[in-house]
Amino acid sequence: MSRLLDQFLAEARELLQGIATGLMQLERAPGDGDAMNALFRCVHTLKGNSGLFDFPEMMRLLHAAEDLMDAVRGGSLAFTPALADRLLGAADLVSALCDQVERGGDTRGPQGEAAVALATSLRALLAPSPEEGTRPLAAVQPAIDLPEAALAAARVHGGGEALHFLRYTPAADCYFSGDDPLHAVRQAPGRIWGRIVAPTDWPPLAELDAYANRLGFELLSTAPREALDRHFRYVADQVTIVPVPPPAPQADAVPDLPALLATQRATLLEADRPDWHPGRVRAVVAVLVNTARQLGRTALAEQLPALGEAFLRDDDVAPLLAAVDALAAHQAPTPEPARAEEPAAARSSLRVDQARIDRLLNLVGEMAVARNALPYLARHAARLDGGRELEREIKAQHAAISRITDELQAAIMQIRMMPVALVFERFPRLVRDLARKLGKQVDLVLEGEETEADKNIVESLSDPLVHMVRNSLDHGLETPEERRAAGKSETGRLLIRAGQEGDRIRIEIRDDGRGIDPARIRARAVERGLIAAEAAAQLSDREAVQLVFLPGFSTAAAISDLSGRGVGMDVVRTAVERLHGDIALEGSPGQGTSVRIVLPLSVAVTRVLVIESDGQRFALPIDGVVETLRVPEADIQGMANGRVIVRRGRIVPLRALNAALGVAAEPRRNSAGELAILVLQRGDEQVGLIVDDFRETLDIIQKPLAGVLAGIDAYSGSTLMGDGGVVMVLNPRRLW
Amino acid sequence: MNPVLIVDDAAVIRTYYRTILTAAGYPVAEVGDGVDALEAALQQPCSLCIVDVNMPRLDGFAFLEALRREPVDQPPALVITTDRGDDIAGRCRRSGANAYLPKPVRPETLLAQVALLTGGRA
Repeated sequence: MSRLLDQFLAEARELLQGIATGLMQLERAPGDGDAMNALFRCVHTLKGNSGLFDFPEMMRLLHAAEDLMDAVRGGSLAFTPALADRLLGAADLVSALCDQVERGGDTRGPQGEAAVALATSLRALLAPSPEEGTRPLAAVQPAIDLPEAALAAARVHGGGEALHFLRYTPAADCYFSGDDPLHAVRQAPGRIWGRIVAPTDWPPLAELDAYANRLGFELLSTAPREALDRHFRYVADQVTIVPVPPPAPQADAVPDLPALLATQRATLLEADRPDWHPGRVRAVVAVLVNTARQLGRTALAEQLPALGEAFLRDDDVAPLLAAVDALAAHQAPTPEPARAEEPAAARSSLRVDQARIDRLLNLVGEMAVARNALPYLARHAARLDGGRELEREIKAQHAAISRITDELQAAIMQIRMMPVALVFERFPRLVRDLARKLGKQVDLVLEGEETEADKNIVESLSDPLVHMVRNSLDHGLETPEERRAAGKSETGRLLIRAGQEGDRIRIEIRDDGRGIDPARIRARAVERGLIAAEAAAQLSDREAVQLVFLPGFSTAAAISDLSGRGVGMDVVRTAVERLHGDIALEGSPGQGTSVRIVLPLSVAVTRVLVIESDGQRFALPIDGVVETLRVPEADIQGMANGRVIVRRGRIVPLRALNAALGVAAEPRRNSAGELAILVLQRGDEQVGLIVDDFRETLDIIQKPLAGVLAGIDAYSGSTLMGDGGVVMVLNPRRLW
Repeated sequence: MNPVLIVDDAAVIRTYYRTILTAAGYPVAEVGDGVDALEAALQQPCSLCIVDVNMPRLDGFAFLEALRREPVDQPPALVITTDRGDDIAGRCRRSGANAYLPKPVRPETLLAQVALLTGGRA
């Protein structure tokens, strides 16, 4: 049944998200009836689901929350931000309990105790009802805490009287304090059932202390609570008393034919005639027909539909009732469950373990690599005698396999695509809580939540985005007073927008806060020793603000509890670059700040350009390549900080790949004396990498580097070529 | 045999019923709310509807009443709900249900009730 638990947990998380969203919606528009109903349903469903499992603490908290929501819905309790806080807290606690369960635990322990305590305090908010003292337990713990034997005894006893279940666990040293547990239990008022509970973990006989009590007692009593409390007053700390819910008529009784027939009879006798009355009667007839067939009364089964129609026509129920009674008089054997005769109806969606999809993706990636071997094979064939024909055939096969592989790959990637909404949906809550904590007013606008990207990308986006949202609230947006003084509206605006640009996803986080002061950034970077004063002065304002991405930079004068903890934007940049993305920051004093992140839609397959340097092949992700050039030596100019070329009026600084990799060899020139230069985009600027030669472009699966190689950040991974060679994949961001 | 139509907005509850019923040999179909349920019930005959009450779009009672208004073969219906309150069983009957069970329901209880309503096998 662990699959059921997995599903419960997955669904619980969705419902908890729905609860958080609903609460915040209500906070903005307390009169929104639809939002209220949706919210109530989430709580109600989650409570119902938790009833499938033995999670009494979770159930109890959810039940309290449900009753509270019911009171709000009914108008007897006002919806306030304070109440929203409590309910959000409850949702967090349930979420924590889910985590605990997911780790293989149950809902007991400190979290469970906190849940019970919160449930009690939520209930205290409800108008006190006369049965307040007993209601929570009675309502919340129907079949969970009580042993089955006690419930069975309660059923046998019937529902006439209020029953209490009592568990008495005498202390081990009870005989030394003058207690006589057995006598106390025997004398308990109103006892209708009882048993002695022995522990299952007896110590070895030699260690058994005959004078220590190890037994417990359970009993059912018809006596009022006060009488039981009085009887056990000297051992009150060792006694738990729980009211037994009145047994619902069919609660645990196995349904039987007489009960079913009685129900159908009652329906037929209903006096109301709603417009669905005919359908209702025909459904009753359907049940009666099934019953008659089951009992072998085929003749009656065939008459029943006519009797039903007669009742509908003449409104005379007597003949139909006679048929019901005839069936009831028949002694029914217990029906056997049906056997499968047809396959289950097809379902439209299916939940699959992610590992299986990843395996598929890996396989199709391997296939793409294997496919890359075919051109080598074709070239090899061309060199054979009469191999032209073979070469053509291999090339044709290559094209066909390529097309199928590409489609297969695209189809699998599509399965892994998820909307960024999964990450965005956390923000309303985060922004609300932070804003409240900081005393700021923030209007959060989310756009493009439906934009899709690979699951890994979406999931890895979460932490960097949270970090930037915190930055915006903490450092960017001002307090209402500051904003008023600056002539802005008191409520700040935070925009988080996602969109697709070709095969990249673009995410923008923009606030209208105090912005960023390039002069201060320069000063701070110099002060921290991150950049020389002269170099800082040479930077444009646009370039200067990018300095915040350097490790060790922190703009906040004091490290704030919210976004601080000593980590800064460099962590965000590292996270984004790990996903082969780019990040840029824009802002000016008073004008707000904007951070833009551009990421590939998928990380599984990388399109690379293969290049050669000093006799070795390397691969470079093609998405950063602007163009490839052959430049005569004469066009390369020397400047103070190195060699450059001028392209379309822009200065493009150059660096030789050999030098970057610590190889002594000079870049090779071709027969015309030209150098091969790869122009790469780095944020807003372009840089040129001098290599020996350009080769083909390929789709590759990058394998991360392991061991000592993993520490070399000039490489982002390695890949296997179609000819069996291993090629290192360069990380263009770390070649300068 | 026509499938048993499971109508509940909680996927975990649907899985629970489905697991129990398919193990006992019943074909099942499932939907997440009353609107989809009505569409499914009108499109393909079912041998029984197992219906939750509190659902988005169209609740269980409204679904049953709508179904009972339709000029089709009327399948038996079993309501399983956490809703309690006065005369919940009567409320279910009047909306056109043929049986009611409180949620959560034990596997053996569910199987016994389904067997009774469908006559063991159709």
